[in-house]
Amino acid sequence: MTAAAAERPPRRPIRERLAGLLFVAPGVGWLAVFFLLPLVIVLIFSFGTKDPAGHVSLSHLGFQNYLQATRQEYVPAFFNSLRYSAITTVLSIVIGYPIAYWISRYGGRRKILLLILVMLPFWTSYLIRTYAWMIILRDNGVLNSILQTVGLTSEPIAILNTDFAVVLGMTYGFLPFAILPLFVSIDRMDHNLVQAARDLYANGRQAFLHVTLPITMPGIVAAALLTFIPAIGDYVTPDLLGGAQTTTIAKIVQVVFTSGRDWPYGSALGFLLMVLTLAGTFMALRTLRRETLGGG
Amino acid sequence: MSNDHDGSPLDLERILVRYLAEELLTRRQLLHRISVVGATVALAPIIAACGTSEASATPGVASPTSAPSGTAGEPTATPEPTPQPTPEGELFVYNWDAYIGEETQQKFQDKYGIKVTYDKFPDADTQLAKIRSDGKGAGYDITYPTSVDIPGLLRDGVIQALDLSLIPNARNLGPEWVNPGYDANNAHSMPYMWWTTGFAWDGDKIKDDLTDWTTLWDERFKGHMGMLDDIREVFAVAGFRLNLSPNTTSDGDLDAMLQLLEQQKPLLRKYTADDIGDLTSGQLWITHAWSGDWGQMLTDKPKTKYVVPESGAVRGSDTMVVLSGAPHPVAANLWIDFNLDAEISAGNSNTTYYMGPNAAALALINPDISGDPRINPAKATLDKLVELLELGPDLDKYTQRWNALKA
Repeated sequence: MTAAAAERPPRRPIRERLAGLLFVAPGVGWLAVFFLLPLVIVLIFSFGTKDPAGHVSLSHLGFQNYLQATRQEYVPAFFNSLRYSAITTVLSIVIGYPIAYWISRYGGRRKILLLILVMLPFWTSYLIRTYAWMIILRDNGVLNSILQTVGLTSEPIAILNTDFAVVLGMTYGFLPFAILPLFVSIDRMDHNLVQAARDLYANGRQAFLHVTLPITMPGIVAAALLTFIPAIGDYVTPDLLGGAQTTTIAKIVQVVFTSGRDWPYGSALGFLLMVLTLAGTFMALRTLRRETLGGG
Repeated sequence: MSNDHDGSPLDLERILVRYLAEELLTRRQLLHRISVVGATVALAPIIAACGTSEASATPGVASPTSAPSGTAGEPTATPEPTPQPTPEGELFVYNWDAYIGEETQQKFQDKYGIKVTYDKFPDADTQLAKIRSDGKGAGYDITYPTSVDIPGLLRDGVIQALDLSLIPNARNLGPEWVNPGYDANNAHSMPYMWWTTGFAWDGDKIKDDLTDWTTLWDERFKGHMGMLDDIREVFAVAGFRLNLSPNTTSDGDLDAMLQLLEQQKPLLRKYTADDIGDLTSGQLWITHAWSGDWGQMLTDKPKTKYVVPESGAVRGSDTMVVLSGAPHPVAANLWIDFNLDAEISAGNSNTTYYMGPNAAALALINPDISGDPRINPAKATLDKLVELLELGPDLDKYTQRWNALKA
């Protein structure tokens, strides 16, 4: 009895651990096969070459694709991507924060309904919504007709195929990704802290800057990451709403893969972009940790 | 299944054979995919077991639509003298949007009782990337590559030889389309449509009679012009202006072309993948365009004009091919034969405004199309046009400069 009782306690955690592993295994397996494996393939391809027929050849592995990827012709495209994503991220947060705040503080019983409304656009394909923007923004489109009817302009203003249209389309597309994490962090905040600040003679602005903003900073960083990372890889919006004057690094990767049929080179470009994005993410997260530690 | 056919043992046998063939094919494909993905051997029996249920479900779905009308109805109505292979119940077609007659698919389904799944691609790059993704057609039976791509697709085993015994309508081809340079004896491809690449403009916005490529560099139209989002076509235009071959691989020539295109870029609104939509919506006033697309613009904007510049232009043709991994090769060959029928081919031209290679169809094509020298140019003009050739690895020289141009 006593021997069995002594044996039992160390046995249970193993069984629990096994049960835990069993539950996790399908998810891990799924990620390994459909996320990690493709990534490894991309990495391996990026060191390969293409043969005359356009097939990937792995007989001579080397860094030639990475050297070629740093060509100076691509620098403008890369900076365009950064510019579009940065502006989109800032706009999404500046527009999304008040919305998230309002839903959290004043949504009351309709909170869920309001959040569903934020996510409503996801029920239609992003491509179709982008085409809808084309119809609104083009020279003979809805917006230009209104402007002309009101008399603000006599000739159509070029809106579609400009940087403005790209940033507008991207901000529209990524706004829900910003609102949701912002809502969560604002909703979780203890509002008594703001009351306390007010009691200590902080005015509304000071209470926001010194209490609300620092406490919801994790939400802001999450919103920024969820907007910036997909935005930098977005090639649909710049392709459909953008014009002849600018292109993005994501579009160049696409051209290298399809028209160029150079998978190794495209893989290298894609991998570089991913590494740069990851590096930026880690930097942002480290800054956040330092700030929250300093604040706490 | 049993209540529909009239009890002829031949029909029953055919249905059974097809049923078994499809089931085996489905299972084999599944197993092949598993080996391609590289899943462990341990997983294979599980997935194969899943495959059994899926495979038995597929013919079950197909049989009510296709088996009674196709195999049970048709062969008994017209007894065949020679034993022809039985067509499969389904067909997967992969084509450009708006590139076939309005009624072609329905008529084919009515005639053969084969259910056609018709998918579309937005540009040739997408098409080629997809059919090359598994090296044998990504599950499609039929696609429509440009003639210049045929040698490469054949060399890489992406397309299979046609069964010419199933394509008697090949006799309708005009003499210049029989035994073309890119495919000896039409063994692997049948011509579908041909075109020129010029430029189109909105007659309401621009009254001038435009004739030459220099128009696309004209400051007056700044912000209202578009070029096709197509590397080779765009460089070809620069080539015609500089009197250089659009198939050049010389770095000096290409740098000169790039320089000219860089001068043009600030004047452009966009590089368009939708010349029809952009011109008819008023977004572009002038656009680099394919001849048949111009014809389709006329429906929405009757005052649209088009020119094949005399300093030179690209001429090309599209083909119909059977992909090497085609799950339904017999139906695929029947589809090609059907589209070479004089009446069907004329119907395709009348919808798409592209001229086909079909000599027998010529009399049936709307004279507005066949009589228009811009869609159907005279021989003298045709002889001056240039076909784009496959460049192999030298295509990199174009891609690099294209990315530099757009960046």
